[in-house]
Amino acid sequence: MSQPRVSLWATEEIDEDLQVDVNLAIGNYGQNGLYDDAQPRIDEATLIAVQHQMAQQAAFAQIPDAVKRFIVHFHQAVLENNLAEITVAYESGWNRLTEKHYSKTEWPEAEVIAPLVNDDQLFLILYRELYYRHVYSRLQPDIDDRFHSYENSCELFNYLLNSEDGPVPLQLPEQWLWDIVDEFIYQFQSFYVWRAKVKTKTEEELVMLADLGQVWSAYSVLNVLYSLIQKSKINEFIIAQQQGKSEAEIAEIVGDYGSLPLYHMLGYFSLIGLLRVHVLLGDFTLALKVVENVELNQKNPFTRVTACHVATYYYVGFCYIMLRRYPDAIRIFVQILNFILRMRQYHTRSYQYDQINKTADRMYALFAICNALSPSRLDDNILNIVKDRYGDQFAKLSRGDEGLPAFEELFLYACPKFISANPPPYEDAEQLAAYAEDPPPEPAQRHLALFLADVRAQAAVPTLRSFIKLYTSLDAAKLASFLDADEEEMVQQMMAVKAASRSVSRVGNERNLLDGQMISTSDMDFIINENMVHISEVTVGRRFAGWFIRNTEHAQRVLDGVKNSPLPLAPKIATTEVESKPLSTQQKKVAWGAKV
Amino acid sequence: MSASATSEWVTPPTRPELIESLVSGVDRYNPSNVGILEDYLFHQIRSREYDCLANLAILKLYQFNPDLYNPDVVVNILVKALASVPFPDFNLSVALLDDRVSNANLEEPDPLPGLLPYLTNLHSLLQQCRFPAFWTLYRSDTLESLRDNYTVEVVGFEDSIREVAVRAVKATFQKIGSKRLSSYLDLEGAELEEYVVKLGWKFDSTTGVIEVPPNPDNQIASTVVQEDIKLQQLTKVISHAISAV
Repeated sequence: MSQPRVSLWATEEIDEDLQVDVNLAIGNYGQNGLYDDAQPRIDEATLIAVQHQMAQQAAFAQIPDAVKRFIVHFHQAVLENNLAEITVAYESGWNRLTEKHYSKTEWPEAEVIAPLVNDDQLFLILYRELYYRHVYSRLQPDIDDRFHSYENSCELFNYLLNSEDGPVPLQLPEQWLWDIVDEFIYQFQSFYVWRAKVKTKTEEELVMLADLGQVWSAYSVLNVLYSLIQKSKINEFIIAQQQGKSEAEIAEIVGDYGSLPLYHMLGYFSLIGLLRVHVLLGDFTLALKVVENVELNQKNPFTRVTACHVATYYYVGFCYIMLRRYPDAIRIFVQILNFILRMRQYHTRSYQYDQINKTADRMYALFAICNALSPSRLDDNILNIVKDRYGDQFAKLSRGDEGLPAFEELFLYACPKFISANPPPYEDAEQLAAYAEDPPPEPAQRHLALFLADVRAQAAVPTLRSFIKLYTSLDAAKLASFLDADEEEMVQQMMAVKAASRSVSRVGNERNLLDGQMISTSDMDFIINENMVHISEVTVGRRFAGWFIRNTEHAQRVLDGVKNSPLPLAPKIATTEVESKPLSTQQKKVAWGAKV
Repeated sequence: MSASATSEWVTPPTRPELIESLVSGVDRYNPSNVGILEDYLFHQIRSREYDCLANLAILKLYQFNPDLYNPDVVVNILVKALASVPFPDFNLSVALLDDRVSNANLEEPDPLPGLLPYLTNLHSLLQQCRFPAFWTLYRSDTLESLRDNYTVEVVGFEDSIREVAVRAVKATFQKIGSKRLSSYLDLEGAELEEYVVKLGWKFDSTTGVIEVPPNPDNQIASTVVQEDIKLQQLTKVISHAISAV
């Protein structure tokens, strides 16, 4: 092509010639009418399909062999309902291959690997579930990803709930079932958070968001969870178990769906899922009501999936805080934090461990908050850990009004990522512009404001307590002069202090999470007699019984040991023994001690 | 005390069966049921009853169906919740009020954004037991519209606020001066005396001191928490002692 100083006119012609040549070389895959506008549609479609197919083949070729083998093996395990193999593939295989090949990119799309699994739709749905989970956690999902992941989840739940032949015979590991529910809600939450950010949306996204329909609507998410709960009759199961019914009766109560482990576990996980959704939307009483029958203790057979167990405690504890039932919240947090400390050694599998630790950190912060609002003498161990981690904030918390910023910090760190049920008005461009100009406060800020109002109501407590502690009876005017405050205002503050020392709490035997009695949470009590304040303190007497019992038993053991050990030789016999030593070689059979 | 403090709050004895099935089931999400719950709210207003969870259900329906929003209903729910301090109902209701994009559906301007700060203020005054300040704010001119349009409809609203004050006073005082009590209850002279007698408290008109009857909260005694030694802990010791003998 060495034609220097060719004019522009000539060069263009040459380019066109080249292009036509290339086309003919490839072939006639429907590119006949490429430049012929008379037959646009069909040919364009075929062209796109062909390009797509070529892209897929190229992508397929790029998949490492190890991945292909894994997918085939995984598919085989799913077909055979081989739970052990599926568990291994799910827990270690997938994560290993992700780390190795796909730590920064997406896995191959479902269509690309479809030929490997003979287009098995069920497996492809499951595969897509894993695919999107990977996208959401390691990469940034775009609007298409969000829409498609919703559709895929709906297909999966549709398959599980609405198959014509009743319950499906699929078996999946419990960890995976929890992850399905957990991820579904996480994607829902992520969508709402993303949707609320109006300013960063592109034109195309605005158009799609204006016409959402049911995609990620709160009703459809709630519908899925409630359907799973109802199909598996999990609530009836829990109640029947608590009433001690026999296996046969229980099997009858839960029906076809509930007897299968897949549905049974999905039902339970949906309960926890509902708890979480209600907390995210700000409805704390309904959240507790949904799980009211669940027994929160370690004997619960549902504690096998640690992540679920931890999540349950976190959300229940948070609900109690918003209901001002601080002693209950403290008890819940102490229980689960001790559990996590003990379980730590068994759970070093990467992603679960990190997540559980993060939740544990937030619960330490919440424990600090509750402890400041309702001091208890419970677990010193946990208290020490909290002081380590949140030392300076913890000190500030107990300082009344000054502590408010510390409360704010800890609350915002530890609270769930609240969402607002109402989207920005994407359907109306004018309203949308107004919204972008003056956006409403974030849901977390709203809940923070409510919480701080509660804290402020108790702001008087620390100072008053420190004075009152020093007296058994005190004149109100005198106390007012100490505090440099108006007497009447101070009396009102004292009423507030008194109210703060009373909480509703579950003591003893209440099963239901919402039950409780009014108890006193302070070790110091006072009453006002006209203008005299009388104070009483509750102290804990010295506990010596345990010490004495332990030492008594120890002495017993020592005594028993001494009694049962062989008797030493008496001194007299000892001297004759010495003399008779030379004889003993001949008289080996002499009975012990039978000399003379 | 075996009676649960919360059982009445969760399931008021005055709640009819229909409402119970709505609140406890899935039908609460059905937007067409909002009318039933709203009617029940108006019934509560007229007959001095109160059902927190049913009212929260209304707010939840509003959360998911913004076109059902009725600001009068919301204000009434908040007003009713004021009277249930120290229960956290007011905060729970506000937590369900999502930030509203102004709806073009309303015929009149939305009164809620204007009233909400005042209601929140009233609530925090009650929480901090600052009753005289509450009455001052409540009777002031700024809250005239609240009084004329809303609280006047709620039968016995002022009495229910007085009950909040009485609960706080009962817990803290054994004897209280009548002037102080009258500032908390916003009642004077003969009315105060009548109210106190109705409560069953003793009013001593010579000294102006009112005696509060004993209740679990206003009796104090310095206690030392002794430990309970259970028999099981001693079984080993006792059995050993017996066998040794």
